[in-house]
Amino acid sequence: MSAGRILVADDDPQIRRAMKATLTARGYQVSDARTGEEALDKLRLEAYDLVLLDMNMPGSGGLETCRVIRSSSDIAIVMLTVNNAEQDKVEALDAGADDYVTKPYSTPELLARIRATLRRLPQAPDDAGLRQLTLEGVEIDLPSRQATVSGRTSRLTAKEFDLLSYFLARPNKTIAHRELLQAVWGPDYGDELEYLRVFVNRLRKKIEPNPSKPRFLVTDAWAGYRFHLPH
Amino acid sequence: MVASTGPNINSVSENLWRKTGRLTLHLLVALSIVAAITFVFFRLIHVNVTTVGFFYLVAILVIATFGGLLEASVSSVVAMLCFNFFFFPPIGTFTVADPQNWVALFAFLATALTASQLSARLKRQRKSALDRQREMERLYALSRAILLTDTTQPIAKQIAHQIAQAFECPALALYDRNSSEVYAAGPEVLPNLDAKLRESAIRSSVLHEERDEILIAPIRLGGEPIGSLAIKHAFMSDAALQSLLSLVAVGLEKARAQEEVNRAQVARQSEELKSTLLDAIAHEFKTPLTSIKAVTTDLLSNPDESLSQQQRGLITIADEGTDRLARLVTEAIQLARIEGGKFQLNRGVHFPSSLLSAALRQMKSLTDGRELKVEVAESLPLVLVDAELIQMVIAHLVENAVKYTPQGSPILMGAHASERGVTIHVADQGPGITQDEQSRIFEKFYRGSRGQHLKGTGMGLAIAREIVRAHGEEIWVKSSPGRGSEFFFSLPIAPEESAG
Repeated sequence: MSAGRILVADDDPQIRRAMKATLTARGYQVSDARTGEEALDKLRLEAYDLVLLDMNMPGSGGLETCRVIRSSSDIAIVMLTVNNAEQDKVEALDAGADDYVTKPYSTPELLARIRATLRRLPQAPDDAGLRQLTLEGVEIDLPSRQATVSGRTSRLTAKEFDLLSYFLARPNKTIAHRELLQAVWGPDYGDELEYLRVFVNRLRKKIEPNPSKPRFLVTDAWAGYRFHLPH
Repeated sequence: MVASTGPNINSVSENLWRKTGRLTLHLLVALSIVAAITFVFFRLIHVNVTTVGFFYLVAILVIATFGGLLEASVSSVVAMLCFNFFFFPPIGTFTVADPQNWVALFAFLATALTASQLSARLKRQRKSALDRQREMERLYALSRAILLTDTTQPIAKQIAHQIAQAFECPALALYDRNSSEVYAAGPEVLPNLDAKLRESAIRSSVLHEERDEILIAPIRLGGEPIGSLAIKHAFMSDAALQSLLSLVAVGLEKARAQEEVNRAQVARQSEELKSTLLDAIAHEFKTPLTSIKAVTTDLLSNPDESLSQQQRGLITIADEGTDRLARLVTEAIQLARIEGGKFQLNRGVHFPSSLLSAALRQMKSLTDGRELKVEVAESLPLVLVDAELIQMVIAHLVENAVKYTPQGSPILMGAHASERGVTIHVADQGPGITQDEQSRIFEKFYRGSRGQHLKGTGMGLAIAREIVRAHGEEIWVKSSPGRGSEFFFSLPIAPEESAG
């Protein structure tokens, strides 16, 4: 059985060849694309579990391709960047990527990132009351992974869904950064505060009536985040 | 001053001659008019004395209107004498028989002189009004010209030419203090006035070069002298001169501001170009490294025994070489990006302790298995720094400590308040650095004598120093051979208001 279907989008043929060889050896089914446009075409024709997307590609480039994919799909996306600068990482996550890896990366590191991104949170607690939530004009429907705020419905990506489920299972409790990172991304994580910053912002845009003044997903300075559930 | 130079003196005397000639001609015309009236009424038409007197008066008014005060006054006296000689009995003598006629004669003279005076004054006023108007027109033309200067040549030079043109100035020189250049304009050549122009600009005082009729005046902007102007034959009112100087000041200031904008734009463009170029280079180098690294790490991560001991060893060499090359590229690009201090700092307010812990988090793989002691003084002020870059400095220092000390040796780091603000230190108990080497370790590509065999690029400390300097701060080292090394760098404290 396949460990998952992966689309590798990178303009360098050697990188594509190396990735195909390593990932296939680990049981993944791998296709490749040379440009963002080609990647979009392949995604339309076939179903994939994850896209490895190079940030610097000719044509529309990795960031723009990531945005286009994200606008219609909640597939897992891992961005490959050359720069280790904070700005590049945040840009990648902001564009909708679930994670990023800096080139040159080691194969075990890449495999760990792929596993973490494909990893699903053990199913959220079976609390019927929290699977469907309606508060103050906001509707969150966990089974269908949809959130509706003032008539506007958006779909949550897998990681956003996991993060929100984790919060909803622990309402009104401050959850430390490290706990969140390890629960949602995996035990190898814990210091990547920028992930949380970007993902919490992405969630706020989908579930908060006014994302710049959050009412539910609040920041507890220096400690972590808390899901405020009115009694 | 004694006149000595030829052309100037010639032009002055020529001028004088022209004036004298014109005056003589005027006088001749005026006297001819008086003579003509005398001849007409004495020989041709016989009218009464009063009528003749009125004709003389009208003639003098006409002379005063078209000529000057001198012509009118001379004509008045001559007319009075003719009036007396030819028309008052006894005719043909200057004696006046009837005392009443004396009164008439003096009344005539007084009226003629007063009328001359009034008329001449009016004329003078009209002339001066015309002069003012002309000056205004010239200043207006100059201000328009200054607004329309282009950037193909120095603006001060263009302004100098515009003044010479607008004021029909024979020669002038404009000194721009900003560029320290003197620009001459006008058909004639001025003697070398550079020293005087500088003196006028520096002392903010007006100088007169009487020999050549040159006026040197400072150009001020908001009380600050920014240059000076030397004009030959400055036939203009004081007010006009002041306006002219103000206009030039505004023009020069406009030029300076424009130059500053241009310079900033060029700097920004070259910075953008550099950044684009470096990104392209990073991409080009790291792409092949990525495929090599993917292959070597994949082979090495295979747990099975498919690789022989020798093969594993060879691949490890390739893998380490790849790492080293990747680090070289990364650091060379970092250094190129920050070198020369021409880069944007993304300053923010941060806790010194969080800078340390963030840097340590980033380099966990490097410090794994090493003893690290972190001591941060309590209640340190917040610092205003580019966090990413300062973390890079800490990382380079820690890496340096890891590199030059044996596995079991601890690394101490911390932050404390100091005179300069907050000082961060990273210390090791390694072999230390000699006095001689201490002055060179922050140089690019310098590597300590004991470091030849160690992995490193020789750029880490140079990068650290550039980043710290870009913050306006200092980095230094205390060390002695055998007793370890301690690196320090200072950070600027955030202003009170930005901390809230």
